[in-house]
Formats: sequence, C-alpha cells, structure tokens
Amino acid sequence: MNGSYYEKYSRTTHLIGRTVSAVALILLVGAPFLIGSILGALPDLGAVAKGFLSVGLIWTISSVVEFLVYTPMLGSGGGYLAFITGNLINMKIPCAMNAREIAGTSSGTPENEIISTLSIAASSLTTITILAIGVILLVPLQPILQSETLQPAFANVVPALFGAMAYQYFRKSIKLACVPLVIMTVLFIFVPSLISQTSIMIIPSGALTIGLAYLMFKKKGSIS
Amino acid sequence: MISLLNSMPLYLICGAIILFVAIVCVIFMIRAYRAGIKLGMDKAKLKRTLTSSVTFSVLPSVGILLGVIALSGSLGTPWPWLRLSVIGALHYETQVAQAAAEQVGLKSLSASEMTPVAFSTIALLMSICIMWGMILSFFFNKAYINKLSGKGKKAEADREAGEKAGGETKKAGFGDSAMVAMFIGLVSAYIGSYIGGFVSGEGLFTFKGDLTPIIVAVVSALVMAVFVYFSEKKHLVWLESFSIAGSMLVGMLVAIFV
Repeated sequence: MNGSYYEKYSRTTHLIGRTVSAVALILLVGAPFLIGSILGALPDLGAVAKGFLSVGLIWTISSVVEFLVYTPMLGSGGGYLAFITGNLINMKIPCAMNAREIAGTSSGTPENEIISTLSIAASSLTTITILAIGVILLVPLQPILQSETLQPAFANVVPALFGAMAYQYFRKSIKLACVPLVIMTVLFIFVPSLISQTSIMIIPSGALTIGLAYLMFKKKGSIS
Repeated sequence: MISLLNSMPLYLICGAIILFVAIVCVIFMIRAYRAGIKLGMDKAKLKRTLTSSVTFSVLPSVGILLGVIALSGSLGTPWPWLRLSVIGALHYETQVAQAAAEQVGLKSLSASEMTPVAFSTIALLMSICIMWGMILSFFFNKAYINKLSGKGKKAEADREAGEKAGGETKKAGFGDSAMVAMFIGLVSAYIGSYIGGFVSGEGLFTFKGDLTPIIVAVVSALVMAVFVYFSEKKHLVWLESFSIAGSMLVGMLVAIFV
C-alpha cells in the first residue's frame, strides 16, 4: 500500500516539478523583456547571441554535467527545486548531503527522496528570506556587511564550508581521500591557471574517486 | 539610470517572481513532509532535517546577499536580488554580467556607463546562460530518476536473491559509497585549489599566494572534529544540526584575524 502511495506521490512530484520549471523559465526569460519595455529599450538580441557564444557555451556544458551528477544526489523533488533555485555547489548539494547524513537515509530510497526535498526546500526558503530581509535593510546593512573588517570572513565562506565537509567525509575513508587530494593539489600547483576552473575540475576529481572507490568496494566490500 | 533600475515597478516584477518560487518551495516542503509521515518516517527526523538545513543555509545565504550588494552598484538592487534568489549562483552571475557588459560595448560593468538597452541585454543574457538546468529537469528528470531507481530495484532484487542463496551481499549499496566518493573528490578539488593557489598562485613555487583559505579550511575542519566528538561520544545528537554552521562561523572569524 505504501508502495502505491509513494508511486502516486512521485508522479505528482514530476507533474508539479515540470509545470513550475516551465513557468519559472518563462518568467525568468520574460522578465528582461518586461523590464526592457518599462525602461523603453528591448534587449539587443544580436549582442545576446554574441554574448551567448562567448560565455554561454561553457555554462551550457557545465549545466549538462551538473544535471547528470547532481540529479541522483537530489532525487526528483529536490532536483526540480534545486535547478530552479540555484546555488548548487556552494550550498544546496552540501546541504542535502548533510541532511541525509543526519537522517541516515541511503540513496535511491523513498526516505531519501523525502529528506532531500525537505532539505532543498528549507534551504531555498532560508536564502529567499535572508535576501528579502537584506534587500529591505540594504541601506543600514550595507556599511556593516561591506566593512573592511568583515570582508575576509565573507570572502572565505566556501573554504569554511569545504573545510568542515572535508573532516566529515575524509574520515569515512582516509585511504580513499589521500589519492584525489594529492593528485588535485599537485595538479593545481603545477597548473595554477586551472584554479579559476575548480568548479569544472571537480568532475575529473569526482570520477577518479568514484573509480577508486569502486575498486576498493569490489575488493573489500566497503570503502572504509 | 541607477534610480530607474531601483524603481518600484522593477521591485514589483522581481519580487513577484521570487514570491512565486517561494510558494513553490512551500508546496514541495509540505508535500514531502506529509508523504514522509504517511511512509511512517519519524516526525522528529523530518523536523531535524528542516532545522539542520535552515542553520546550514544561513551563512552561505549571507554570502549570497553580499553578491547582491556587489552587483547592485551597477545593475540596481531588484535584478541581482532576483538573480541570486532564484536559479543564480554567486560565482556565475558576476562573471556573466561582466562578459555581457563587454558584449554590449561597455568598458566595464558600471552604473555610469549603463544604458536601458545595455541593461535589458545583460539581464537577458544572465537569464539565458543558466537556464539549461531547468530545461534538462523539465525533459529528463523523470526518465533519469526512473532509470536510476530501476537500477536500484534491480540491485535490491539481486541482494535479496543473494541473501536467499546465502551468498555474497556486498555488491548491494555501492550507490551510497559512490556518493561519498563523489563528495570526497569534490572537496579534494577545492582543498587542492587552495593549496595550489598558495604555492603557485603568484608564479610557480613562489609560496606567495593567499594562505587564508587554507587556514580557514583547517580551522573549520578542526572545529567540526570537536562537534563530531561531542555529538558522537557524548551523545549530544542535537549538536549535529548546528555543527557545519558552527564550524563555518569559527573558520570565517579566523579569516578576520589572519
């Protein structure tokens, strides 16, 4: 009985997910035209096309990779929401992984689907709320948030996040972690120009680690 | 120009879209919560998922707010507010906005050079370059998830068959290990980039790059270790919800003092 209830839930999730993805897409692409008509100047489509060829193609490729890699982590409900609300790598993905960790669910199960969806929804609402408060209080907040003293703190949000996550994940399998850590460090030391491409370099690093994990798993039955 | 970009109609348009997305999030959240209870999941577990996700997201969200402030100087407040509340990503928006500004012939992304045409063009380009995740979800999420869960079911069937035969059960569950491995790879790439940045960021082996990210990551990891010790060894389970946010906060504070 639970099985058929969950199947129905999944079908509705896809229906709602697809509908809101389409609506959000229309709203986001439509907004510049609407704003343009208020300002009395529609977008220059030629420049948009040129701009797309120069920067958009890279983002298109990385979007495809993001979709393929993150969808299994996020499940269906979480997936639709995360791709609408964005900020995947610096927030949504670690957030959902952390929630799964705390709840102790395993991938591909209905429980995991529920936890991921709850986590992404709560995370998105938090961002929306904080940004809304921030925008309302922009005038008094601006000097505090942009003060020289606090600059280094906010410039290091991502290292702080990945430091904490590193402890959490490396301790699951120190042996496994050593290889990608050493390889990526050596690579970045010898080819520093790749540092600005870190968000793309996570793909080979992740693939390598999954490959090694698979070998360990086949041999020992676990990766720890 | 900047006052036009900060005018009421723009706030209303962007605010309405953000409201739509917020409502969508609430709908997904309520549905998932109800489904969780129907499936017999522990209420306390569901609530802890919500608490931990909120506390987890607070600090990164303040970081994102800074992105809004950074872009508001040239694009006004409403548009960056929309971009970063919905679909946008911190590292993405600034880069694309800059590139778009160059395409429309501005020397740089600044308020003094901004024209209505330039603005609507930049805005459209920012929307278009990042819309693929939504498009792919629209077309392929269902098929992809079904394919994955089909595999999961097969693995489960294999495991059951294996258990019945009293044979090997270890093939089951590589999915979880793969997720952990993916994450280890991801974190390794970032940590490696901080070390690489310090050693070679200002020229090969000059050791003159920024050391702060490394210190921050190490401190944050150490604080996390303390949190884990207390939640696992002293059984203060409630601490888990705050461990990442707490570690990040200490790590970020250290950045101020180095």
